[in-house]
Amino acid sequence: MSLEDPEKEQQGALEGRSREDELADLLGERALSRDDHKNAPAFVIRPDEVQDVLFDLRDQAGYDFLSCVTAQEYEDRYESIYHLKRYDNPMDEVSVVVPTSKQNPVSQTAEPVYKTADWHEREAYDLVGIDYEGHPDLRRILLPETWQGHPLSLDYDQDRPQIVTLREHANPLEEDQRASGTGANAHSNTVESGAVDDAADSDTMYLNIGPHHPATHGVLHLKTILDGEQVVDVEPDIGYLHRCEEQMAQQGTYRYQIIPYSDRWDYTANMPNEWAVARAIEDLADLEVPEYAQVLRTMATEFGRMLGHFLAVGTFALDVYGDFTAIFMYAIRDREKVQNILEDLTGQRMMFYYFRLGGVVWDLPEPREEWFEKVRDFLDELPSALEEYHDLISQNEILQLRTVGKGMLPKETAKQYGATGPVARASGIDMDLRRDDPYGYYDELDWDVAVEDGCDNYSRLLVRLREVEESAKIIRQCIDLLEDWPEEERTIQSNVPRTIRPDDDTETYKAVEAAKGEMGVYIRSDGTDTPARFKIRAGCFNNLHTLAPMSNGEYIPDLVAALGSLDIVLGSVDR
Amino acid sequence: MSGVDLASVLLQQNGSGNATGNATNATAGNATNATAGNATNATAGNATNATAGNATNATAAGPTSETPLPDLISGLLGLDGFGIWGDAVAALLGAFLIANVMLTMTAVAGPWAKRKITAAFTDRIAVNRIGPFGLLIIVADAVRLLSKELIVPEGADRPAWDLAPIILPFSALLGFAVIPMGSGIQLADPETGLVFAFAAASIASLGLVMAGYASNNKYSMLGGLRSIAQNLAYEIPLVVTAASVVIFTGTLRMSEIVAVQSQPLIEAGALTIPSWFAFVNPFAFVLFLVANMAEIGRNPFDIPEAPTEIVAGYQTEYSSVYFVLFYLGEFIHIFLGGALMAVLFLGGAAPPVPALGFIPGFVWFVIKIWAFFLFTQWCRSAVPRVRIDQLIEIGWKGMLELAFANLVLTAIIVGVII
Amino acid sequence: MIGILKGMATTLKHALDGETFTVEYPDVAPEVSPRFRGVHKFSQERCIWCRQCENVCPNDTIQIVTDSSRNGEQYNLHIGQCIYCRLCEEVCPVDAILLTQNFEFTADTKDEFVYNKEQLKNVPWYKDIDPLNSRNPDRGAWIGEGEGEVDYQ
Ligand code: SF4
Ligand code: SF4
Repeated sequence: MSLEDPEKEQQGALEGRSREDELADLLGERALSRDDHKNAPAFVIRPDEVQDVLFDLRDQAGYDFLSCVTAQEYEDRYESIYHLKRYDNPMDEVSVVVPTSKQNPVSQTAEPVYKTADWHEREAYDLVGIDYEGHPDLRRILLPETWQGHPLSLDYDQDRPQIVTLREHANPLEEDQRASGTGANAHSNTVESGAVDDAADSDTMYLNIGPHHPATHGVLHLKTILDGEQVVDVEPDIGYLHRCEEQMAQQGTYRYQIIPYSDRWDYTANMPNEWAVARAIEDLADLEVPEYAQVLRTMATEFGRMLGHFLAVGTFALDVYGDFTAIFMYAIRDREKVQNILEDLTGQRMMFYYFRLGGVVWDLPEPREEWFEKVRDFLDELPSALEEYHDLISQNEILQLRTVGKGMLPKETAKQYGATGPVARASGIDMDLRRDDPYGYYDELDWDVAVEDGCDNYSRLLVRLREVEESAKIIRQCIDLLEDWPEEERTIQSNVPRTIRPDDDTETYKAVEAAKGEMGVYIRSDGTDTPARFKIRAGCFNNLHTLAPMSNGEYIPDLVAALGSLDIVLGSVDR
Repeated sequence: MSGVDLASVLLQQNGSGNATGNATNATAGNATNATAGNATNATAGNATNATAGNATNATAAGPTSETPLPDLISGLLGLDGFGIWGDAVAALLGAFLIANVMLTMTAVAGPWAKRKITAAFTDRIAVNRIGPFGLLIIVADAVRLLSKELIVPEGADRPAWDLAPIILPFSALLGFAVIPMGSGIQLADPETGLVFAFAAASIASLGLVMAGYASNNKYSMLGGLRSIAQNLAYEIPLVVTAASVVIFTGTLRMSEIVAVQSQPLIEAGALTIPSWFAFVNPFAFVLFLVANMAEIGRNPFDIPEAPTEIVAGYQTEYSSVYFVLFYLGEFIHIFLGGALMAVLFLGGAAPPVPALGFIPGFVWFVIKIWAFFLFTQWCRSAVPRVRIDQLIEIGWKGMLELAFANLVLTAIIVGVII
Repeated sequence: MIGILKGMATTLKHALDGETFTVEYPDVAPEVSPRFRGVHKFSQERCIWCRQCENVCPNDTIQIVTDSSRNGEQYNLHIGQCIYCRLCEEVCPVDAILLTQNFEFTADTKDEFVYNKEQLKNVPWYKDIDPLNSRNPDRGAWIGEGEGEVDYQ
């Protein structure tokens, strides 16, 4: 708390003059020029002053949230963009642009300032090829170690086959064979505890959890070092589900071809992803969305959030209970009901593709009364269903024994690692983009942000269960609105041209609150009908980064529970 | 008559041949049955042999109300006149019979009943497409599992790796040798029956550790270590709680423990509550139930397997026949746990009210075992798994103290009142 | 202890009420909403070979081959690659390509999922429902009026 107060004062002092001027003053000489984005002022700085500038922005101006790092290559330069926000006011954004030369793309790392930059910069290095000086562990993150070239750089040859020779690249299994000996050393550079630095100390055991393990919810590989049953260090190894979603979006037209793929990012709660893309493109091309469509969007998205939370709660129970717990099936049953409703609305059970630029694709299904009744029935049954959840999960003493006080993620650590969504809210960070950066119809509706201060696995579970209730509240208000909407004003789409060509070199970064956290999209246009750079910021990616601080020193079962409580979807982590 | 004799001679030869020879190289089905017979035979046969051959043996001293099964069989088949060989054949037949009953129950429980029960708790239907009520899934599953490739992991410690899946089911079957199952079905009734049952059941831990250690897999290793820690922590409260029953009965002989429970505890008009120890000492009953669940590794104490944590624990590397053996072993262990519960606390094979006495005792016994099985499955769907350290903590800091307190309490009650 | 017992009571309640949530699929054909997006149906008679569907498709699922005078020769659609976004139906000005509610399709190899125009024409309606009727109210927002009765058979 004590850390927060100076920020507040700072904010008070800054009032009166425009925020941008203040920032310009703060940066002074270091800001070489301005390169404003549509969403925020952007300052261009020198590549060797990154830490200096970011420290000032964090400590003096209160930008404690590094939302995203976008790297891209221009004809004449490389560029890293740090999208900064504040946890207490996500609308107060600033971007820091760090250009580097083509010949020597080296830029100072931001890792000491924001822990979350660790993974973001690794991804930038992996996909674009920028070198971050001083980064503690600059390795590929999404692609295999043996990959040749950087796929999002301009001169990358897509057709060149990737030949992996074992002679050049060590067998990744070898590390495992050497177990606690030198194997642990191979990645002890990421280990902070230092417990395994001593290679001769063979008390530890190296264990690969995943990529095919019952508790990793997909293809996630956790490199763990164990001391008996206790986790000394864990390092998530991701990228098994990497599908170049960014590149695919860069090849699709704004108008039609990007949103259908966004459903594949976070495929357990897809609706918010569609909104993230729609919001960014609508901001970029200045498209209007009719109010009626906003209500439809809001309602559909809340259904989507429920989908994600039901599954999250169910699988979390699965991780803690054992393989055949009843609560998982009950969660699936409720999820199924939501899917039925959404199928009537959108025509698909998972990959909805309900959003279109400037609105949505369908109005409510006819006959409307029938559909309203279906939704109301579901909402009426929901409290009793949630009652069962509480009986089976949150009020169960053994579950409390297992989860309370385990997987601790203190508030400051959560901020450092850029955690968002239920993970952040369970650590007492009161941020929800639906309220703090209003979009859609949320600010007209009456609902609450669920926040818990427990910082543990149990709190994350509670936050999700409460968010389901809040979603139900929002949906109920939405359908009341929709029911009374005058028939002639039911415009589901504004008039959007069939081809959209935003102005050349317009950039924006827009985020929405997805079920798992902040889902952000950065787009730079180049005057054509496809984006020149499309960057996805997935909440799961950053939330997964917090696994190591959460589970170090815990037992394996708590590591598994912590992973379950993070509710990651590998489709969204790897993109 | 000669036909029966011939058959029994053949059986006898077959049996002894298997006992001396290598049982593991037989085909799966045969191996299961034949070795099951043998394993049980080893004990039961010995016990009865001892009875016949050595008159000074204590077992011969007190004939119980019901004739042990081998004697019954030898009476039926007219083997009485064949001396020690006749007894051996009879014992073998009895063991064979009981082992098969148990295996059949396991076969029903494993692939079918378990799914149906879990489905009922989770609002599903489960197997219903093969045969009536999906019952033929048992056959289908057996064929499917047995026809899979037996994969031997690289670096497996061979003899140990092969022995582990054999030890597990047979240690459990061994325990059934001394269980009185009602209707006179009991292979042997030694004076130390209760101790024998516990001893036999805990051989399984050895199998689990061997499996965990020999698989050359870290998950298996963790599973093996977990199972040892768990068994150590829960065996003691289990036995100590059982000892409180022994204080009541004053004997370790299974049939007598059952007999003591047949007196009525309270008679209120038409309602008679028998003096089952579950009613006499409900506290001990609950303690035993919990310790038993941990001993057989069911939820919430299924941490040696804990699929979401350590994949499948000690059985991670096992496939095909060996997997089937593990699977069978687990279920026979549940049934053995249920049998011990029934004998020690639920009046053995006695009906709950005398009015229901027309139903044979064996049926009651099976019902009680299945009730326990049902309970384990219920817990599986509703109770979260505890963590390994918590499990050990509950075992050493909670259960053990409670078990001793219960023992002392029982001793005082028995000493003062009776 | 209360919580554990409550949990056990909850599951027992579910076990005893006898309700199931299982869809007995092959025996009972599930209800599919009118908007459901399934395998495509194509009508060569209606198609004007404008190629809009081919252009809008996000993953090049549709392949159209025309001769030199722009008469259609082939219309191939890889239903295993399709992501069922319904954009082709949306942009088609004459309702020549349409997504039925039919979700049942199987094949031994992926190649068999490449449907040519004959196969596309023979895709059956699911439960004999023509989804066009139920979708019609919303189509105006997209493509203007269709051209009267549609015959795909
Ligand atoms: S539904 Fe979408 S992906 Fe499939 S063919 Fe039509 S446009 Fe292409
Ligand atoms: S859009 Fe319609 S009319 Fe045009 S080519 Fe495709 S199917 Fe034919």
